[in-house]
This record gives sequence, structure tokens and C-alpha cells, in this order.
Amino acid sequence: MDIGYWMPLLVLLTSLTTGVMIFTLREDQVRLRTALNVTGAVVMLVLVWTIVWANARGVRFETRIGFLPGLDLVLRADYLAMLFGTLSAVLWLATTVYAVGYLEGSPHRSRFFAFFSLCVMATMGIALAGNLLTFVLFYELLTVVTFPLIMHRGTRASAAAGRVYLVYTLSGGLLVLAGAVWLHVLVGTGDFTTGGYLSASGLSRGHLVAVFALLVTGLGVKAAIVPLHGWLPAAMVAPAPVSALLHAVAVVKAGAFGIIRVVYDVFGIRTADDIGVLTPLAVAAAVTILWGSLRALLQDDLKRRLAYSTVSQLSYITLGVATFGPLSTVGGLVHLIHQGIMKVTLFFCAGLLAETLSVKRVSEMAGVGRRMPVTMVAFTTAALGMIGVPPLAGFVSKWYLGLGGIEAGDTWIVAVLVASSLLNAAYFLPIVRTAWFDEPREPWAGRPFERGAPEASWWLLAPTVLTAALAVGAGVLAAVDISPLGLALRAARGVFVQ
Amino acid sequence: MSALVMVPLAPVVVALLLVLGARSRAVGLFLAPWAALPALVVASVGAVEPQRVAWLLLGTELQMDPLGRAFLLFTALVWTASGVFARSYVTEEHRRAGYFLFHCLTLAGNLTLIVAADAVTFYLGFALMTFAAYGLVVHAGSPASRRAGRVYLAMSVLAEGALIAALLLAVAAADGDAALSAMPAAIAAAPARDLIVGLLLVGFGVKAGALPLHVWLPLAHPVAPTPASAVLSGCMIKAGLLGWLRFLPLGEAALGGWGAALVATGLAASLLAALAGAAQDDAKTTLAYSSISQMGLMIVAVGIGLGAPAAAGAAVATSAAYAGHHALAKGALFLGVGVADASGGKRMRRLVLLGLSLPALALAGAPFSSGMMAKNRLKDLEAFAPAMPVPLDTLLLVAAVGTTLVLARFVVLVAVKPDPAHRRGPRVALWLPAAVLIAAGVAVGLLGAGPLGVAAAPGHPVTSSVFLASSAPIVLGLLIAWLATLARVRVRIPPGDVLVLVESEVDGWASSVAARRALGSERVDERLASRWYGIYTDEPVADPLLRWELWLTRWEMAALLLVVFTGVLYFFNSLLGAP
Repeated sequence: MDIGYWMPLLVLLTSLTTGVMIFTLREDQVRLRTALNVTGAVVMLVLVWTIVWANARGVRFETRIGFLPGLDLVLRADYLAMLFGTLSAVLWLATTVYAVGYLEGSPHRSRFFAFFSLCVMATMGIALAGNLLTFVLFYELLTVVTFPLIMHRGTRASAAAGRVYLVYTLSGGLLVLAGAVWLHVLVGTGDFTTGGYLSASGLSRGHLVAVFALLVTGLGVKAAIVPLHGWLPAAMVAPAPVSALLHAVAVVKAGAFGIIRVVYDVFGIRTADDIGVLTPLAVAAAVTILWGSLRALLQDDLKRRLAYSTVSQLSYITLGVATFGPLSTVGGLVHLIHQGIMKVTLFFCAGLLAETLSVKRVSEMAGVGRRMPVTMVAFTTAALGMIGVPPLAGFVSKWYLGLGGIEAGDTWIVAVLVASSLLNAAYFLPIVRTAWFDEPREPWAGRPFERGAPEASWWLLAPTVLTAALAVGAGVLAAVDISPLGLALRAARGVFVQ
Repeated sequence: MSALVMVPLAPVVVALLLVLGARSRAVGLFLAPWAALPALVVASVGAVEPQRVAWLLLGTELQMDPLGRAFLLFTALVWTASGVFARSYVTEEHRRAGYFLFHCLTLAGNLTLIVAADAVTFYLGFALMTFAAYGLVVHAGSPASRRAGRVYLAMSVLAEGALIAALLLAVAAADGDAALSAMPAAIAAAPARDLIVGLLLVGFGVKAGALPLHVWLPLAHPVAPTPASAVLSGCMIKAGLLGWLRFLPLGEAALGGWGAALVATGLAASLLAALAGAAQDDAKTTLAYSSISQMGLMIVAVGIGLGAPAAAGAAVATSAAYAGHHALAKGALFLGVGVADASGGKRMRRLVLLGLSLPALALAGAPFSSGMMAKNRLKDLEAFAPAMPVPLDTLLLVAAVGTTLVLARFVVLVAVKPDPAHRRGPRVALWLPAAVLIAAGVAVGLLGAGPLGVAAAPGHPVTSSVFLASSAPIVLGLLIAWLATLARVRVRIPPGDVLVLVESEVDGWASSVAARRALGSERVDERLASRWYGIYTDEPVADPLLRWELWLTRWEMAALLLVVFTGVLYFFNSLLGAP
């Protein structure tokens, strides 16, 4: 048996099996369900780390299954796949633990966790997809399995949000599918190749541009590029762990990762640069960055403010991809991870505040730091990281994006980054300030606080602390070989050394 | 491993001890006042090996060059004095841990930026110092400290933005080499040279209290607890100066325009701030204005160096010597305010005033003081100064008169109303730190710049003419102050001066926006609003951008985007020509 062949499949089967088994559980089988969940997440993490470890030692992982004549389903663990895969595996574990604590005692947990696992399977499929059609397959699957998660609460608002979500993502998916089919008809579906399999296809520039427009507009829905971002603030009615997963790993990252694949592995960055599609994409990303930040500034609802912040931060990735040069590539790729760990922390904190104290608005957060110090330390860390304060993760992203922009001769990118950082500061620092330095307006809702007891369940606190620590570690230890930056550097080297 | 690592590490470790639980907090509180001691030892000993910390951040490097050593010496000394003072000053037990947490973090940032050998590490220290110092500014929790904190944070964040842009451009100009030693030359040769210089001036100017970016300073320095005021005005303000000395292309390019602009703003600050300081009612606010005024003179030195590469070396040394002298004097004066408040008895009060008159006279440049040494060095640069209608020498004399005025005002404010509740006088731990700083300042006056870690300037014997030149402005200043008192001149300027104009504008704008929102004058398309109600917002009228958001997220827009985006792509494609 060839381990290189089975490993990628095993990764998908892990979460598929977990999901299917949980479906069959009764609602009251809490322990078994939790055990399954956590086991699945841990096994996944071990598998992914094994792949990364073996990858560095020259083992290649590829699964190829015949699908149609001339069309294979390909799963392959290249550097980019592992960048996204590692993020998903780590954050899945954190989010699973958090979700177990968060949903304690609420109805329909089997349904929830089953779809939760399937959602991770789809995400892993997107990470590992080795050609465009495999990618599209999992991309659409992701839409389908996240829908029940967004609607989970079953309220009118969540139904409305779910509808909005479906309309947006299905339309976007359709465009991506159209682009992929168009390419398949013209040149067949080649494997993702660093440098782009279209670069040597001899397709006319007209065709290339049209396909690029279709693919990127379609992917732009999930990547929340303005004005295709409408579903994202709507989807924040979902339970906190879903929001966390949606905003950090699963859906939005699928879009951003798709853009990464299209630019680097379908077209090839040089071809994309040659046909002049990068600058418009960079401008779209810049507009999104600024508009998202402005919108975030005006929201009082904490989760909604975070949602708009996601709109803005996600486009850092797109901006990095759309700027021609190794440093921008590193910046964009590393932000894929950094944005994930920081944003997941922020949503965990928002969930903690809402669950423990029923605090959902920024204006209700005065003095909350003294009541929930651990939560707010995590929040502060992630918020400062988002602003780009060294030595946290966000600084590393912005440093590379800025240098990359100048390297490419697009100094305006520095202006966009600075403006965005200032806006980030304008919508995050008041939260931090009021939480730590203001007096609480009225007694806290929720259970009375017992001295010596933890401020909230450790099921919720532990993952929050873990991801906040990762956000610190990713910055402080950025120069270490196995840091996110190290992974991104390796992946970017592949893009530019051919 | 180089001892240099201990410099920033010590305060970080103490800060961790302070937050990691009750038992470690006790240890942390015990150690916190002394967190700058390793830095003081390293700086006193002198030469240490550079240290590379390759795993940290983007690969950091620490060093202590002569300039860094000069800054490290006075910074560590004033921070230690402030720490010891604070242990007795911040009396509430539960607030002490909070105070020292921010004390240690700010200190860590301040020390890091001094021993940094690369731009990223410098920025790390600068940012840490900036954000942690917010905790010191708002420590009192009063409405005044909140306002000061808000203004401080807003201006600091803007400065950080300018700074990171400048650093990115500079490092890119150095082909990705972030070493500080490569910065000035790279900036001098950069195509965006003037942009970088402008950004650096703004980015560091806020911290350095340069006109007109000084407005946060008269608010924040006085409302902070007294030991924090001492380090804010003594050390942190100098971090901005050090930033300029590290990054500006001093000696690499003759930037006459920028140099002249700096000299002009520096001189303007030294005169105007002194006058504004004399029109204050609070002792610490007068000191804050005096700091702006004194920083103005250091900025003059930087400006001369920027305009004349030949004078760059001397300008840097002058700035460093001036910074050291001012840090000791201003640190002593701020701590002295606390000592004076705690001295109830009349005789005790007189003794305190006598002690405080030493650093005050030094700032005014009295003969045999550290101030005279610093000002003489500044006068040596006159030959390189840009052409001015009035000679620099004369302007410096006028500035010294102003300094005397503001410090006379300070002494008057400190001298009034001893509090009988404090008849027993200050504890040793309260007056000793101030006394040590005063003594250090006197030593510098007598021994020259050597103790500050700056090479002595050649030949400045105190001849009768030098004696006269340095004492005349003081006599004149005291005379004016006396006459003004006799004539009951009562001019008052609100702390923050020009800020007051802008602030009322901003507040007015904000409240009018709020009022309009309350009236619901931001109308939204009803149909759209009802469709999105509860998804986008709970209060459709409270969001001025919502109308645009709703317009943007219509499905027609998405379809339009596809068309427009494709069109733009084709347009760019055609620009690049050749099918």
C-alpha cells in the first residue's frame, strides 16, 4: 500500500467518518459525541502534521481517482495545500472544543456537529484539491454543508440570513463552475502547477481574461470582495463557533484560497501579470479593505463589527496575491493563517461575552476586563495583532505586504495598509479601552461571579487562550522555520523559483 | 550571550511576574522599581557585544553604540529614580500592581528601542512604549486623564501610521536590509526621500512634542501620576529624538529645506511654549510646556545637522548631550513636585525649593550648570545654521529668558500653600530619587558631558563673557517675572493651547452627527431597509454609511460588477498590448 496515495484520502475520510457517525447518535449521547468530535479533530491534526513532516523530507502525497474520461479527481498535498490544511486542522480542534462548551444543553447538537465535521471535510478537500474541478466540487459541497450551520438556531433572522447566504454563494459557485468548465472545454483540466498550467496552453489573451473574470468574481463572493460581501455580515446570526469557523477557516478562506490557486496555479503569476489582470484585482482588494474597515467603524454590535473587519482583513490576502513579487506573495499567504488565528480568537471572545454576561454590543462592554480578564486579554491580543502592532502576527503580514507593494512599484499599497491600520485602530482600540479602563455601567447579567472560580467554562476559555497564544507565537517566533511565516516563505519560493 | 539581552528582558520578566498570580505578584512588586537597573549597569560599564536574536520576530539584533549608550544612561537612571519614587507614591496596594505593570511594559519598550540595531526592533520598542504608556496616562481615572488619554492615543496612533510607512519605504530603499546603520544612507538615496523624511518628522514628532504636534503633551504629562510624568517628560519624549537621530539622513545628504523648517519650528517651539508655560496655573503643566520648549532647542540641533552634513556629527552629539541634561533636570523637577506636595513644614518647603532651583537654573543655562554645557554646544553649531533674519545666538538668549520665565512660574506654583497634613515631611524613598537626579545634573555641570556618555566638546572655559552671557537672560527673566507680578499681569492659556480650537470643532461635529442620527434624518430606502432589517442593522437610521451599503449589496450591483470588472480587465489587457 502506498502511503503517499492514501494519506490525502485518509484526511478527508477522518472528518467524513466523524460526521456520519455523529449523525447516527441520539441527542443525549453527549459523552460519546464529544469523544468522537475530539478524537476526529486530534486524528486530523496528527495526519496533517505527518504530511507536513514527511513533505519536508521529500515524500509526495497524491491521490488520483478517475472521474470522467480525461478528468481525474486529484488530491495533493503541496505547500499551499498544507498551508491551508494546517490552519484548518489546528483551528478545527480549537473550534470543536469551543463548540462543545458553547452548545452545552442546547437542542440539535448531533445535527450541528455532524455538519460541522462535514464542513471541515469540505474545507480539507478545498485545501488538498489538485485541479480546478476537484476544487469546485468541494467548494460547492462547502456551501451545502455550511447552510444548516448558519440556520442552526432556526429563528426568523437566521432563516433570512441562511437564504441570503445561499443566494450569494450558489450564484458565486455557478460562476466558478462556468469558468472551470470553459477551461476544461478549451484546454482540458490540468493539475494545479506552480507557474500555472495555462501559461503554456496557448490560449488567446481574450479567453484568458474572460475566464479570469468569471473565476475571480465567483470566488470573490466567498472571499467577500465588495460589493459581493453582503452575505457575510448577515451570516453572523449563526452561533459563535460557526461564525468563528466561517470567518477564520471555512467559507471566506475557501474564497481567498481559491483566488490564490487561480492566480498562482491555474494562470501562473507571470501570465496573470502579462495579461494585466492583477492591478484591477489589487484595486478591488484595496477598496474592500477600506470599505470594510469604514463599515466596521460604524457598528455597535460586536459580532457585526468583527464581521466587517473580516471583510477588510480577508482582502489583505487578495491584495498580496494580486501584487506581483515574492514579498507580497509571502504577505498574502501568511495572512491566510494570521487572519485565521486572530479572527477566530476575536469571535471566541465575542461568544464568551455573549454567553457569560449577555454582552453583545460594544457599548455594553465598559469594565468587562475586570469581570472576564482572561477573555479580554485574548481579545486585546488579537485586536492589537489585527491593527498590526509588533510583535504580533498581524504586523508580520503587514510588513511583508508593505515591502512587497513597494517592491512591485505600487507604493500606494503602503498608503492603503496604513489607512487600514488606522481604521483598525479606530474600531478596535475603543473596545479595548472601554473594557479595561471604564467602570461597568450596571451589574452584569448572567450567573453571579464566584471568587476563585474561572470566569467561564474551560471548554470555552482554553481554545480562546490557545488561539491567542498562537497569534502571539506567530509573530514573536516568525523567524523560526516552522512558523506560519516559514511555511509561507517555503510556499512563495515555489511560486517564484521555476 | 551578551549582557545586552538583560536590558529589555528584565522589565518584561517583572511585568510577567506581576500578572501571573498573587505570589509572583509580590515578587514582581518588590523587583519592579529596579527593573531598569540591568540597563543602568550595562550602560555604565560601557562596551558590550552586539547580540543577534535570530528567532525573535523577523530576526532582531541588539547593540549599544555610543549614541545608544548616552541615551541608555540617562533613560535607565531616570526610570530607576521614577520606580523607587513610585513605590512610595502609588500608595493604594491594589493599584500598585497595575501601575507597575504599565511602568515595566513602557520601560521595556523604551529600552528596546534604545538598544535596537534594526528598524523592526526599534519599531517594536517604540510601539510597545507608546501603547503601554497609555496605561500610565490614564492611571488616575479622572475625566482630565481620560481626555488626555484620548488625545494621546489618537495622536500616537496617527504617528505610528506615519512611522510604519516611513520604515517600510526606508527598508525597501535599503533593499530589504533593516539594519539601523543602513537607514540614513538608504533614505538619502531613496527616490521617495522627501516623503520618507516628512513621514519620519511626523512619526517621531508627536512623541518629541514638536510644534504643532505637541498638543497632547501638556494634557498627558501633568495628569499622569508624578513618577510617570517624570519618565514621560524625561525619557519617552527623547525616544522621538533618538528616532530622528537614528533614521534621518544626517551627514548623508544636505536637506537644506527640511533643515531650515526644523530649525524654524524648533525655535518657534522654544519661544512660544515657554510663554504658554508661563501662562499656566498648574505646576506640572508648566513643566510640560517647558519640555516642549527645551525639545525645540534639540530640534534646532537636528535641523542644523540635516541641513549641513559637515555639522551632522556635532549636531548628533549636541542633541544627545542636551537630551541627557534635560532628562536629569526635568525628571528631578517632576519628582520634586511630588516631594514638595509631601513637605508640609515651612522650613522643609524652603529646602525643597532650594533643591529644585538647581535643575531649574540648569534648564535656564546658568553658569557651571549642565544647561550651560548643553547650550554652549548648541551655540557651536551656529556657523552651520541656515540663514536667519536674527542670529541664532540672539534667539537662544531670548529662549533662555523664556525658560527662566516658565521656571519662575513653576517655582511660584510649587511654593504656594504647604499642606499642614504633611508636616512630617516626605519619606526618604520619595526625596532621595529626586536628590540623586539633581546630584547627577550638578555633576554633569561640573564635569562636562562625559558622565552623560557623550564626548566632551573642545574648549569652553567659563570666561567672564560666557558667564555674563549665560546669567544675563536669567536675570532678565526674573526681572520680567517680578515686574509681571507687580503689574498683576494675568494671561492664561488653556493646557493644550491650539488643541482647544480643534477639539471643540471635532466635538461639535460629532454631536451634530449624533443629533442628526437621533432625528433620523439619514433616511434609507424603506423597501431595502425592511428587507435587510435585523440582518444588517437593528437601527437603520444610526448608520450614515448604511444607505451606501444597501445600495452596494443589491444583486444588480453584483451583476454590474461582473460586467464592469470584465471590462476593466479587458481594458488593462489592451493597455499591455500585443495579443
